Amino acid sequence: MKILLIEDDRRASDYLTKGLRELGHAVDQAFDGEAGCSVALAGGFDVLILDRMLPKRDGLEIVKALRAVGSTVPILILSALDEVDERVQGLRAGGDDYLAKPYHLEELAARIDALARRPRDSAPISRLKVADLELDSRNRKVTRANRKIELTTREFQLLEFLMRHTGQVVTRTMILEAVWDYHFDPKTNVIDVHISRLRQAIDKGYDVQLLHTIRGSGYTLTDDP
Amino acid sequence: MTCNYCTLFVDLATRSLMIHKAMQIRPFARSSIARVAALNGLLLAASMMVVLGTVYLWTSRILASEGDELVSVETQSIGADFREKGLDAFVTEMIDRAEDPWIRGGIYEMRGPRGDFLAGNVVVLPELHADAAGWAEFDVDVVHGEASVPRRIRGRILTLDHGFRVLVGHDVQDRLAFRSVMLRSLVWALAMVILFGSLGGWWLGRRISRTAQAITKSAGRIARGDLGERLPISGSGDEIDALVSRFNDLLGRVDTLTGTMRAVLDSTAHDLRGHLNRIRGAAQDAQQAAREPAQVESTAIVIAEIDRLSDTLQGLLRIALAESGTAPLDAVDLSRLAAELVEFYEPVSAKGQLSSVIEANLYVRGHRQLLAQALSNLLDNAIKYGGAAPILVRLVAEGEMAILSVQDGGVGIPEDQRELATQRFRRLGGASGLPGSGLGLSLVSAVARLHQATLRLEDASPGLRASLRIPLER
Repeated sequence: MKILLIEDDRRASDYLTKGLRELGHAVDQAFDGEAGCSVALAGGFDVLILDRMLPKRDGLEIVKALRAVGSTVPILILSALDEVDERVQGLRAGGDDYLAKPYHLEELAARIDALARRPRDSAPISRLKVADLELDSRNRKVTRANRKIELTTREFQLLEFLMRHTGQVVTRTMILEAVWDYHFDPKTNVIDVHISRLRQAIDKGYDVQLLHTIRGSGYTLTDDP
Repeated sequence: MTCNYCTLFVDLATRSLMIHKAMQIRPFARSSIARVAALNGLLLAASMMVVLGTVYLWTSRILASEGDELVSVETQSIGADFREKGLDAFVTEMIDRAEDPWIRGGIYEMRGPRGDFLAGNVVVLPELHADAAGWAEFDVDVVHGEASVPRRIRGRILTLDHGFRVLVGHDVQDRLAFRSVMLRSLVWALAMVILFGSLGGWWLGRRISRTAQAITKSAGRIARGDLGERLPISGSGDEIDALVSRFNDLLGRVDTLTGTMRAVLDSTAHDLRGHLNRIRGAAQDAQQAAREPAQVESTAIVIAEIDRLSDTLQGLLRIALAESGTAPLDAVDLSRLAAELVEFYEPVSAKGQLSSVIEANLYVRGHRQLLAQALSNLLDNAIKYGGAAPILVRLVAEGEMAILSVQDGGVGIPEDQRELATQRFRRLGGASGLPGSGLGLSLVSAVARLHQATLRLEDASPGLRASLRIPLER
């Protein structure tokens, strides 16, 4: 994946670049807003990572400039400001995701992966299928090997989120934000327990296990781990 | 990070908000106008009654004494006259007087010892009863051109030597008429005074009430966090204007201080997070490069410690954000939020441990994330310290307030330590073995302050009941 990283903190940028390269991504670095903006406008990147506060040109301004010229490149905003309210501003400006510093490399990697693989066409697919597990979001029906599975509303939302990101790693924080819209750390293993309940519902009694735990990162739903 | 001004301001603002809310519910303003108007009218009426009553009493007394004086003067020497002039001359004079057209309103009658009529222009004496001083009042028909008109007479009856009796009276009909006209005008005047007094009072009350309403409305917006708002100045330069402009000055200072505080908070956060981010990057880099198991372990410890430090910083910054009062507030469905969090925590509690009673559709003006985090902290505490005993989450409306409480059946917090429990980094005895930063309840208490809510920790015997009283959004 080709990534442009616009970050004025040179050392932080280097660590992140190194980490991302080790994960197999190609990373270009820019160290101020102006340079970053012109590189970004030239295009050719799968994902943009940019700091919220940059010298010469503010991060949000770059986002707005890109969106103004019709660029749809996924943008992840990094910020050292409290994410509660800054986040809203970042997304409103046209950002696709928002991550507060200090971040875990695994968290950031999972998020840009999700961003890059997000389907570009606007209409979301209502029928999802992973192996023999099927979900229809219009009539809220879930079946596995054509057998109906009863889920609570929240379990359904959780499964839908996992299925939309099939084959990708989703972190606990991503789940917490997407399914519950909570932007704080509940400090307990609540998400793990919700996942294990869902696993009971969709995997118990089947040979092929679909919901997998990725140590140190999160979870993934796939028939090809 | 808090300041005295903020506390004072929040206190003032909260109060005005309460008043504001109270005004919206009860017809307080209207009844206040009515009271001012009624009081004004009553006071005016009472004072006018005293003034006009005095005028009336004095006038009628002067009128009465005027008539009585005439009669008194006439009758003063009547006994001596009778003795001096002799019967015939006296009777003649009586007849003269009775028929003299120049004596207006003069009434005379004279009777002999056996009651025989001797002279006079009326015939009333036999039936007349006088009071102790010899005065009597009666009506006679006086021929006035063609018609005869009843007139009120007041007169004195004197008994002369040898049993002769004389009545000397005076027509007081005009005086009575004057008195009744006067009484009528006084009653009218009084009615007008009450009417105009009430109208004036109503106008005055409405003016005051409008000013007060405008102020409370602005104060309400300020209390909800709009520090740019200023109280309206009427421009009349009166005492209220002076008070309001002083209050606005104070607000300006609070606004500046809050802005500065938020800026300091943001730059501190930015700086510290930037440092932590670099350190974490370096540590993770070192971990990747580590070959020796001891190096791997020590870098893992460093990373874990950095993450703990980040968590603590995050907690402190959240508290500071809540306390700065700059977090944007919106209408939040507290009922839904509570139900969702109960559902969220249900899997980590023991089976059947967590139950809830939640009244639907209770909205508060708040910050959804901070409220969720506060409730999450309370639930987390209840699960962590409550053992396996039942936990009850309750949300009810009580008047203007939403009461959100989490009650556990654990060991609770001793009464003398409840105050301490909400202080930062304060971990009470018995908690040291459990994970936690000691910021949980301080965040709840800061979030409570942001929402003009109160946090109460009570003994649920057994266990702890933590309850938040949050003003409901109208």
